[in-house]
Amino acid sequence: MSAVPWIRLDNGLEVIARPNGAARSIAVQLVLEAGAAFDPAEKEGTAALVASLLDRGAGSLSAAAIAGFFDDLGVAYAAEAHRDTLDIRLRLLSDHLPGVLERLRLIVAEPTFPGTEVGRQKGQLLTTIAERDQDTAAVSEMGLQEALFPPGHPYRHPRLGTRDSVSRIERADLVAFHRHRFRSSGAIVSMAGDFDPARALALAASILGTWNGGADGPARGARGTAGTAPGPAARASIPDPPAPDRTIVVVKPIDGKTQADIALGFRGPRRLSPDLPASLVLNSILGEFSLGGRLGKVIRERAGLAYYVYSRFSAGLGPGPFVARAGVAPDRVRRALDLMRRTIEQIVRRGVTPGELRDSKQALAASVPRSMETNPEAAAILADAEFYGLGIDYPWRLAEMIRAVTRRDVEEAARKYLTPRSCVLVVAGPELEKETLA
Amino acid sequence: MTARTRRGDIVVTRLPNGLTVILREMRQAPVVSVWCWYRVGSRDERPGITGISHWVEHMNFKGTRRIHKEDVTRQVELAGGTWNGYTWLDVTAYFETVQSDAFEEMLRLEASRMTECLYSQNEVEHERTVVISELQGGENDPRSYLEKEVTGTALQAHPYRWPTIGYLSDLRAITRDDLYGHYRRYYVPNNGILVATGDFETAAALRLVRRHFGGIRRGEDPPPVRTIEPPQSGERRLTIRRPSGAVYLEFAFHAPAASEQEFAVFLVADGILAGGPTVNLWSGQDGRGPSKTSRLYRSLIEGDLASQVSTLLVPTRHPYLYRVGVTVNEGVDPGRIEETLTAEIGRLAQGNIEERDLTRAKNQFLARHALESESTTDAAHQLGFFETVAVHRLFLDLPRRVRAVTAGEVATLARARLDGDRRTVGVLFPSGPQPAPAAPGGHGVSRP
Repeated sequence: MSAVPWIRLDNGLEVIARPNGAARSIAVQLVLEAGAAFDPAEKEGTAALVASLLDRGAGSLSAAAIAGFFDDLGVAYAAEAHRDTLDIRLRLLSDHLPGVLERLRLIVAEPTFPGTEVGRQKGQLLTTIAERDQDTAAVSEMGLQEALFPPGHPYRHPRLGTRDSVSRIERADLVAFHRHRFRSSGAIVSMAGDFDPARALALAASILGTWNGGADGPARGARGTAGTAPGPAARASIPDPPAPDRTIVVVKPIDGKTQADIALGFRGPRRLSPDLPASLVLNSILGEFSLGGRLGKVIRERAGLAYYVYSRFSAGLGPGPFVARAGVAPDRVRRALDLMRRTIEQIVRRGVTPGELRDSKQALAASVPRSMETNPEAAAILADAEFYGLGIDYPWRLAEMIRAVTRRDVEEAARKYLTPRSCVLVVAGPELEKETLA
Repeated sequence: MTARTRRGDIVVTRLPNGLTVILREMRQAPVVSVWCWYRVGSRDERPGITGISHWVEHMNFKGTRRIHKEDVTRQVELAGGTWNGYTWLDVTAYFETVQSDAFEEMLRLEASRMTECLYSQNEVEHERTVVISELQGGENDPRSYLEKEVTGTALQAHPYRWPTIGYLSDLRAITRDDLYGHYRRYYVPNNGILVATGDFETAAALRLVRRHFGGIRRGEDPPPVRTIEPPQSGERRLTIRRPSGAVYLEFAFHAPAASEQEFAVFLVADGILAGGPTVNLWSGQDGRGPSKTSRLYRSLIEGDLASQVSTLLVPTRHPYLYRVGVTVNEGVDPGRIEETLTAEIGRLAQGNIEERDLTRAKNQFLARHALESESTTDAAHQLGFFETVAVHRLFLDLPRRVRAVTAGEVATLARARLDGDRRTVGVLFPSGPQPAPAAPGGHGVSRP
């Protein structure tokens, strides 16, 4: 395991610097606890809108000045709201780190949200929402969230909001969201690439240390390497939704589509659940390994029903959905669904084979070095581990934890999360009879 | 070994059976990326067998005489690897990026895939419905539907005109023997390129490549594509009605082949218009919009006419297309988008290009060129991809070519290639719940 230097500044910001001299470039990722889960009620889409506006004017810089700086140097900039987090990602050639960190500080600390830009980005978001509402995969995903999480739950609403909720968002809402959620304390800046880590940390400290009125100059905060991970920051608590007590069937008709999307979903684990490694192995066996695990073997390979069929779960601060997905021709929905259910039931009732267990464990554990090969990947994985309080050394420990998973662990996770009698089934696509699906 | 050249740390070898081998040591992580390329794609098809190259790619994951179907991907995953394959106009490619100690196993897999895939009738039938499902999934997306229709209108003769996925009727009719014949004709070492990058020692790697590929017999050289697209003289136009959440407009112009000098000029022209295209077809399509200083962003997005603009300029063996795709803002007449695009192209044609525009476009390209070939997987992709569409050295030479581009060359290109008589304009309007009647004269937008 390579040591990853880090520092916690006096303003609570944590900075990670993983050196990699293979190419003359650097990736920077800033992560904030400001995702869609924290959208104000009735104003879903706020986080997404804030993300799109951060570089459209900040401090004394206009949108054109910020874009001009990035584009002159070929810096790639992106900001996006996810469910738990709002991420800013930058890729740059290594000479440009000081100038890029200066802009990053302004963008995150002093966005100005100019009125014309607010109107424009709102319009764009509304168009994106109109497109999304015609997309069978996105609609099935939203249907799942609505059925799995009760009204008021932070994971219920769609990440981009709805036509109505976005229309209600005013500039003042964006400013308030920024004020409440953009705190240096608990935020993470993760850098990977061509730098001397001590210098990169000092540079980040001198530039980002002043965010939130922190002390000027080099910070004297805690520091160390991956073996001595900083203590986890306090995170928001996301409640457990009630488990479904029966199967809920949702049909979302979208006319004129050539293919329907199926989502068969359950309440999955949280990121900090002790059974997370077992869940990873379970998911691999069910719908990931090779051409989509057991689901791929049954539905794609043997029955030829779908081009894509897989399972995945998204564990966050709260328990995200554990879902099996497939895209199939409208007249094959019923058959695909039967096979999906049967495959899941089998894994719950009869468990997994020693061969499957061995394969999935080995594949997951062995993929760690490759998954961190590039600078953006390494920056993202380290930021993610730190955000969830798992520690910077988590990617390496995870490999060990996966190797330690037993057959019993996996089967317990299957019984806990995959509950075929009480789940949510969503089909989005051409008109379908709801009764035939139950 | 009949020829061997060295350029930097890239070693190129041609085996006696005609296989081109490109090796590059990269020691940044304990991984290797192995890519096996074939010079075959939808350009090598004809009506009746469209989609066959892509279907062959699918069949080549279904086991070989020596490797059981499940082991084709299983052994890659056990080595902590990632794998995939793709088919495009000029190429079919397979890759595995794995822990370096599995390098030889990957070579064994690719050598076996080149010569002894099984093609059982049963597997052919299973895969028929899977490929049709892939086509239907694609048609769910109105933007890809418009793109497909525009391509088929802009190109009237060259086989780049049909979609790589194929036509539904052909996918229903293609036989096992069609597939196997296509496989045997094109999967010969003299039509292939083996690229490996990563954590190995070059001489040892070359020995392994010879061990696994050296004994494969050379085949007949596949037939070349002979058709040259005739010049277009006059605008082409199409209107489509499909279920959709927005109105989409697309312009297409005829673009030069990757090997032509003009290609670098086009990269800069697109840089000024939209911030420049990716030249990594595999990993570069990250949904990145135009750069925010680009002319199309400023005129269309900041002009409140559109919510999205994207351009596409793909390196190809034969001349293909340059596309500008626009998601039209609600309530905006697509005619206004056309006027704006035409005006922006006109500015280029008149030579209205500042030094800063030029420098910025070039810097953006140079940064992307570097960033998009950093990982072992991307580096191997770029070397192999450019070898199939031109020669791998072109990829290394593009920065020099781009730096040399002048404002005058960009203006000349805009006048010659981006004028109204050489364009195809497609507009997709949302249809209502019922299939829309034939398009009336006006640009009415109906929402479902």
